[in-house]
Amino acid sequence: MRAELIELTTPLSRDYRAVVRLIVGGIAESLDFAFDEVDDLQLAVERLLAEAGQTGSVNISFELGPRSVRTRVGPLRERTIADALQGPPPAPGELNLRRILEAVVDSYGVEDAADGAIYVRLEKVREAR
Amino acid sequence: MRQSRTRSPSEAAKARKQDRLLLRRYHLDGDTTAREELIERHLPLVRSLARRYAGRGESLEDIEQVGAIGLIKAIDRFELEREVSLATYATPNVVGEIKRHFRDKGWSIRVPRALQELNASMSNAIDRLTGRLGRSPSIAEIAAELKSTPEEVLEALEVGSAYSTVSLSTGPGGEEDLDPMETIGKEDEGFDQMETRTTLEPAFGHLPEREREILRMRFDEGLPQTQIADRVGLSQMHVSRLIRKSLSTMRDELA
Repeated sequence: MRAELIELTTPLSRDYRAVVRLIVGGIAESLDFAFDEVDDLQLAVERLLAEAGQTGSVNISFELGPRSVRTRVGPLRERTIADALQGPPPAPGELNLRRILEAVVDSYGVEDAADGAIYVRLEKVREAR
Repeated sequence: MRQSRTRSPSEAAKARKQDRLLLRRYHLDGDTTAREELIERHLPLVRSLARRYAGRGESLEDIEQVGAIGLIKAIDRFELEREVSLATYATPNVVGEIKRHFRDKGWSIRVPRALQELNASMSNAIDRLTGRLGRSPSIAEIAAELKSTPEEVLEALEVGSAYSTVSLSTGPGGEEDLDPMETIGKEDEGFDQMETRTTLEPAFGHLPEREREILRMRFDEGLPQTQIADRVGLSQMHVSRLIRKSLSTMRDELA
């Protein structure tokens, strides 16, 4: 079974968002994701980074399965990210990070790290064709 | 999501009322201290809008100063009989001033022609393939359709979306579209209710109706881009960009 790992460290500054998007797009493309699936994964990572502030850096790893990619992003120190993802579900019609991730990835999870930081895991599976 | 920025409906109404009083003092009585106070009160809006244009060869501080000129013009030109808030009226003025500044400086984004052409043809290709395949095409399929490579397709997609002032103002693929920040022209009736919510909601009410509807379809109804594109009569690629742009705009506004 294919399980390859790609890792990168990037500054959180928005100047690097386009680079991250390209990398995410390239990884998703290598798994033959459809246009909307590529876009979904890019959006998930982009929104996560947007919530993480603009100072410091973050590690992003991609574990490639036969038709899925598991993305792990962290350490993230903005408490609001964990609150949004681990707190009560958003009210109907309310738009927050959790609702966005629920719409664009197949599953997500939060891991606690040192110093109160967290890692967020995102899984995106290619639809069968 | 900085929930501390969320204002209650009564606070928002109070702020708008205070703006109105200051505008009346300035325009009717010539009270310049009221004008200064209005400028101070709305500088956070300018800073929020200026951040969207950071990283393009100009310091953020300079962009903010240019944006502040737009704010001052909006305050000076505001007509008291207008039934809009000053923030709503000022937003397109500030954005316009910043864009003019970049144009005047000759710092508009230059995208290689080959990528521009690839980007322009991509929207139709995606929709054509979606119709033919009955599903969203893969990047490789788009590349094959356009006699290009997956890498070039990804790059062209990024070029088209990254420089939003170009792509969203001119409408790739010939579709009419305006920068969402420039289409703001009237008060959103549900804005007060939106402000009671947390997270991105306070900024939601500032988006044009079409963008709000697209976000509702995507995140409330869970519709895929293809269906949203059908419903609103835009290309799938255009829907994708509007979603990204809207979320980014909302986030920036709350920062």
